[in-house]
Amino acid sequence: MGLNAALKVPTTAERPRDNGHALVGSRCGQCGATSFPARAVCHRCGTAAPAEHTFAATGVLLTYTTVHVPRPGLPAPYTLGQIALDDGGPMVFGQVRTDGTEPEAGMAVRVRIGAPSETPRYWFVPERFAG
Amino acid sequence: MHPFGRYPNSSLKDLNRVACVSALVDAGLAVSDVDAVYAANAMAGLLQGQEMIRGQSVMREIGIERVPVTNVENACASGSTALRQAVLAIRAGSADVVLVAGVEKMFVEDRSRTLAALESAGDLDVVSGIGLQFTAVYGMRLRKLIAAGRLTVDDLVAVSVKSHANGERNPYAQHRKVVSPEEVLGSRPIADPLTLLMCSSICDGAAAVVVARRGAVRDNSKPTVRIRASQAATGYTTTGNEPSLTELCAAAAYAEAGVGPEDVDVAEVHDAMAPAELIAYEQLGFCSPGDAGALLDSGTTQIDGSRPVNPSGGLSSRGHAVGATGLAQIAELTWQLRGEAAGRQTERPRIGLAHNNGGWLEGESAVSCVHLLERTDPWD
Ligand SMILES: [Zn+2]
Repeated sequence: MGLNAALKVPTTAERPRDNGHALVGSRCGQCGATSFPARAVCHRCGTAAPAEHTFAATGVLLTYTTVHVPRPGLPAPYTLGQIALDDGGPMVFGQVRTDGTEPEAGMAVRVRIGAPSETPRYWFVPERFAG
Repeated sequence: MHPFGRYPNSSLKDLNRVACVSALVDAGLAVSDVDAVYAANAMAGLLQGQEMIRGQSVMREIGIERVPVTNVENACASGSTALRQAVLAIRAGSADVVLVAGVEKMFVEDRSRTLAALESAGDLDVVSGIGLQFTAVYGMRLRKLIAAGRLTVDDLVAVSVKSHANGERNPYAQHRKVVSPEEVLGSRPIADPLTLLMCSSICDGAAAVVVARRGAVRDNSKPTVRIRASQAATGYTTTGNEPSLTELCAAAAYAEAGVGPEDVDVAEVHDAMAPAELIAYEQLGFCSPGDAGALLDSGTTQIDGSRPVNPSGGLSSRGHAVGATGLAQIAELTWQLRGEAAGRQTERPRIGLAHNNGGWLEGESAVSCVHLLERTDPWD
């Protein structure tokens, strides 16, 4: 597949970012590298082979922090995490929402997708709460 | 340099004027000697509304017109990125004397505007709305190392105490107050494990450096500081199991200069949060993975140690006037290598390393720059 295929991919706004249950990005047909959101050209092998891909809804919390400085529209404290999505999915940042218990590095988490009007659009919850 | 701090009555032009005129006077040069300017700034567009010609607008205050002025914006690494452009311009033979200047004015009436501007150092298309900012990114990096047993909270506190102690000795520093471990640990939480006294803060300031082709500066009264390596790199989409951006950029700089981490006598590293200095020890090769706390404990990186790191107080205590930071590091190293750092002078350094990062992507900084400087004159 030539690089000129990158000229024909949908605009970034037209590419889906979730399917209501999981995050959607791209996976390279050449080398398997994954990206969220989807990209037009693979960051690892440089080919225009990334194809739309639905990632696992689960992942591992690599690390997290609780932010104590509020921002407009974002009352503090809130918790942010870095998550590696399962099955070779990408690393993403997202809020981590628990029932008040302290998260734990290495903990299994599951993505939650909000309503289309919601900010942020997605966040993560401990897998043990997800049912 | 213009000292870092809070200067409500000084404009971008005032801050830039003091830094640039000081640098030209130091070099014994006139404004008419300047062939080209690289002007670094990261936030004036958002905070002061001065977009498009930020460099041209501040340079005309000091009579610099006609010669090419190129604006450089690269998040917190804007200053070192501008320096690299100057080095490339001289190597290309297009200039003999280049003025590199960085200016930032982060104190504005509404602090939330400054915080919002800082938040724009990520890919907003990806992270907008989740509340990600610098302190959170560093908080996550540090917790990962603590969880892996490679750092302790005590290490984070100790390096913050060291940063403030060095800043206290630096007349250009924003924070000139010695703090105790109890004060660091007891200051309010920002993004755990980070507390207020571990973090750099909002800051105004400017720094400037003159870069010249060998022989272009007539004044020989000061020791010569030569740029041995100038490297820059962009962050990448990491799987988390690859070398860090800083490691790659530093390796390229060491290769360019033909030296290794063991040859570095003094370093200014990117510690937007003081504990990031510990991460830099490992990534720059000053110690093995997991040994950063031990290196700090050994006293090696203190001003009177054998490899002082951040004698200026670093970003967290000297201050982090974003667009000026990379050049403040170069100014500090130049003073150190020339033996002009007064109350914070390190022991006869020959090789200095500057490490300046900026922005963030998923798991990595967006920019890294590493420069290696050398004092070419003997110390005796
Ligand atoms: Zn690929």
